[in-house]
Amino acid sequence: MPAIRNQIRELRALREMTQQELADRVGVTRQTIIAMEQDKYSPSLETAFKVALTLGVPLERCFQYEPRGKR
Amino acid sequence: MAVSLSYREKTLYASLGAELVVYGPYFFLHQQNSLNKVAGMIIAIIVLQILLQGLIAVMSRNRLTDERDRLIELRRYRAGYLTLATLMVVGLALLWAHAAAGRLPIENRRMGLHLLSVFFGMLVISDITKTVTQIVSYRRAL
Repeated sequence: MPAIRNQIRELRALREMTQQELADRVGVTRQTIIAMEQDKYSPSLETAFKVALTLGVPLERCFQYEPRGKR
Repeated sequence: MAVSLSYREKTLYASLGAELVVYGPYFFLHQQNSLNKVAGMIIAIIVLQILLQGLIAVMSRNRLTDERDRLIELRRYRAGYLTLATLMVVGLALLWAHAAAGRLPIENRRMGLHLLSVFFGMLVISDITKTVTQIVSYRRAL
């Protein structure tokens, strides 16, 4: 599991946005959104900013860094 | 659980299918190898790939590729290179061992075709490794 966790699924649900809608607005595939939501893929900084911007929250509200071994 | 495949994944499964359909019979059914067969196979794989990729492109609405696709592509090339390099080292070591033992009649035409087949096989194995690595990376999310 990557050290970067995220709240994309929760934030997306609050805004009643589908995975495909978020993917289209961020410019990635739906499969990448699915991988991010499952904490299987850590996006680049640029994509992380785009996701946070699209969801209308600060980056740190959407993504959190948890060093390995501290969970 | 429903399996959702991206455009890239669909093209990968098509590539793997084409590779197995074309290369499989060559390596497992034909014992008599020739330059014509190798050339025919290369043409067959190119034609089949163009047909399948074209068909998938026409049927797919969203042909977007993103950073994750590019990352997986890099992983694919690394796996392919490592496989090919390993096979080349093993192949050259075996050639050297046979030559040192005097069991390598390189002037013999059949031996030449045999060597061609072996080196072509290495390329095929590394190619299939690349495709399988990419499919596995997609299935594991990365």
